[in-house]
Amino acid sequence: MLRFAIRRILMAVPTLAIMAVAVFVLIRLIPGDPASLMLGDLADPASLADLRERLGLDKDIATQFVIWFGNVLRGDLGLSITSGQPVLPLVLERFWVSARIVFIAVAIASLIAVPAGVIAAWRQNSALDLALVGTATVLLSIPTFWLGLLLLLLFGLKLEWLPVVGYVSFSDNPTAALLYILMPVATLFLHEMGVLIRMSRASTLEVLRLDYITHARAKGLSERAVLWRHAFKNAFGPTWTLIGLVLGNLLGGIAVVETVFTIPGLGRLLVDSIFARDYPVIQGCLLFVAFVYVVVNLVVDLLYPVFDPRVTAE
Amino acid sequence: MMKRTIAFTLGTLLAAAPAAAQTVTVALNADIRSTNPGVNRDDNTDAVVLHMVEGLVGYRENGSVAPLLAEKVDVSPDGRTYTFTLRKGVKFHNGAELTADDVLWSWNRYMDPKTDWRCRSEFDGRSGLKVEKAEAPDAATFVMTLDRPSALFLDSLARTDCGMTAVLHRDSVAADGSWDKPIGTGPFRFGEWRRGEYVTVTRFDDYSSPPGDRPDGLVGAKRTALAEVKFLVVPDASTVKAALVSGAVDLAQVLDSDVPELSASKSAAVGLYPSATKHTFLFQTRDPLLGNVKLRQAIAASIDIPELVAAVSNGHGKANNSAVALTSAYYGDVQRKAYAYDPEKAKQLLAEAGYKGEPIRIIANKRVHVPSFNAAVIAQAMMQAVGINAEIEVLEWATQLDRYNKGNYQMMSFSYSARLDPALSYEQFSGPKDRQPRKVWDDPAAQDLIEKASVISDEAERRKLFDQLHELQLETTPLIIFANGQEAWAHTKRLEGADPWEGKPRLWGARVATN
Repeated sequence: MLRFAIRRILMAVPTLAIMAVAVFVLIRLIPGDPASLMLGDLADPASLADLRERLGLDKDIATQFVIWFGNVLRGDLGLSITSGQPVLPLVLERFWVSARIVFIAVAIASLIAVPAGVIAAWRQNSALDLALVGTATVLLSIPTFWLGLLLLLLFGLKLEWLPVVGYVSFSDNPTAALLYILMPVATLFLHEMGVLIRMSRASTLEVLRLDYITHARAKGLSERAVLWRHAFKNAFGPTWTLIGLVLGNLLGGIAVVETVFTIPGLGRLLVDSIFARDYPVIQGCLLFVAFVYVVVNLVVDLLYPVFDPRVTAE
Repeated sequence: MMKRTIAFTLGTLLAAAPAAAQTVTVALNADIRSTNPGVNRDDNTDAVVLHMVEGLVGYRENGSVAPLLAEKVDVSPDGRTYTFTLRKGVKFHNGAELTADDVLWSWNRYMDPKTDWRCRSEFDGRSGLKVEKAEAPDAATFVMTLDRPSALFLDSLARTDCGMTAVLHRDSVAADGSWDKPIGTGPFRFGEWRRGEYVTVTRFDDYSSPPGDRPDGLVGAKRTALAEVKFLVVPDASTVKAALVSGAVDLAQVLDSDVPELSASKSAAVGLYPSATKHTFLFQTRDPLLGNVKLRQAIAASIDIPELVAAVSNGHGKANNSAVALTSAYYGDVQRKAYAYDPEKAKQLLAEAGYKGEPIRIIANKRVHVPSFNAAVIAQAMMQAVGINAEIEVLEWATQLDRYNKGNYQMMSFSYSARLDPALSYEQFSGPKDRQPRKVWDDPAAQDLIEKASVISDEAERRKLFDQLHELQLETTPLIIFANGQEAWAHTKRLEGADPWEGKPRLWGARVATN
């Protein structure tokens, strides 16, 4: 297990290095100059030259990359061009805001969707199955920004149960913080629930058709035992993989949901930085997102044997 | 009953949240960049910071400059020496009294390259004018000596993007000289800044207001009744609308398309506020096609500008083809002269230009609160109606700005930020392209008139120069200015007297209705 984990972590190093180069080069291929954006449409040549020099943008790209990459190896992701803040603390601070919402949403979505998918498969083609599949398809098809706005209109404006804008951190006031993240969490879990129900149902259906399930039933086992002890364990693998992918994907950015609900998370930071051409923050965010993706998938792989004894970490 | 119970429970829980009842909340579409005036800034930053700091002079609503921290400004007969007499009894937010020493310290800080003040080049000779000497002969007098007379010196000091050249207390910076927080003389003092979330300012009880019975631009009466203002970052326009209707936000700029719905709302009201922003179509006069003045004139004749302005502003805007803003004291009969919509003349000019249907690409962006894309679509249709092969290329703003700065375009739907003095407004787009490719109007005759208007202070003489510039601009058509900004702001009905100016919220004249 340990060897497997170390090997996977070492494999992530070249991935992150390639990512660093790709991010650095690609973002500079996009037209746009952070110094011009900061000075706006009134940039006189002298001010522009001053600012470009101060930001190190007057150096050639290779030199800029060597300086930046050298700093990254020392754990320093640089300073934000627009705010002057150190990038790493900024990214971490925003990441935790997003992470809380994502973890809660994915946990709720998984707890509801996985059993729902298993039950839908067990009662395939019944009214319950059709209802669950229909609900999942609808949830999957609704864009998150629209779903978010619908919730905002319903719970914020019509019913006046929940705050429409703003954010309160858990350290300031846990109760209020919970109220402020209810709608973003609901938006995400409703959407992701659709994906997970379909996957859980499909993988359970596949397992239910296997011979050993027929054998279990022939032995006279109860349906509950067949379903949960025999079918679920083998059917959960693909869903678990998908949960990992969903988690990694959402942790990488829920910019749309954060924009609708004014949540100061990582996704909004990344989008704002792209519009402002804040190179150090864009690079920092993307490198961090790649790192999180690698870690989440590593954890998912390491936990595989817990759910499916046929799989070993070795 | 159920609904009431839930609402009561959640309301009780929310009461524990830090929002105070008397706090007025203003929505910003993006976070501020810093609290350092004129250094790391954008429009949102200026809007917030200018509640806390003030300069020696500031802008009036008609674009002229008036004393602010100064009681009066005396200019020497040779136009090179400016003597500012400070108002008495003005205090900083830390209780210290304002003196000329503070003004001198602030000035020296701005002129120190380490400060990175964006307007330093306007005063150190790199853009022409140079402040040779700044002195504080006594506690109430500050003197600045220039290397040449300038009609724009006070305007440059008052510019909002320069942070109004705000006078700061030296405790605004840390011991190592780095920026800490603004300790100014404004009607509000700095409260708290949660990056990405909000910034708060609180009423400064010892504020000494300039004379006047009402706010006038950034001068006039600036007393405030509000205890606290919270500038909340709300990036999404739909969320802004919902927040206004629910009362979670008291004041916000809104989309023109949202005006009818918000006007009909029981809880909100909408106001329209003019600004000196210029909405334009730029021509690249070095383009093989658009270098031909007849083709540019044909495009101008093909566009029904009043119709276009009405369409992009939901009927609220007013056409203006002059670089002198509608709100300017210099706007007069000459500036009312406009391009005539004449499709037949456009066709005739196209024939005279030898136009054979070559494509003309209009670059536009889809930023909210500017009519770039919608104006481009309407202009395209009108141009096509007379036989011009107009195409639209939509770019993201940073990319468009890059193309603008490099002069890499044929035609561009572009909005300029406000410049209140007409000479500065013309200077925005005029000048030699060889030195600055972003310049649009490269005409020595125009440049000569602008330079004269930058030196001469006499109002009547300046008016004549601006009149000549307008005539020349209409004739050579290096760009089509089609309108100034007309911004829609909505506010909750509990908030009164918060009239934004030049795209910036002003909360010092505002109050909360008691019933």
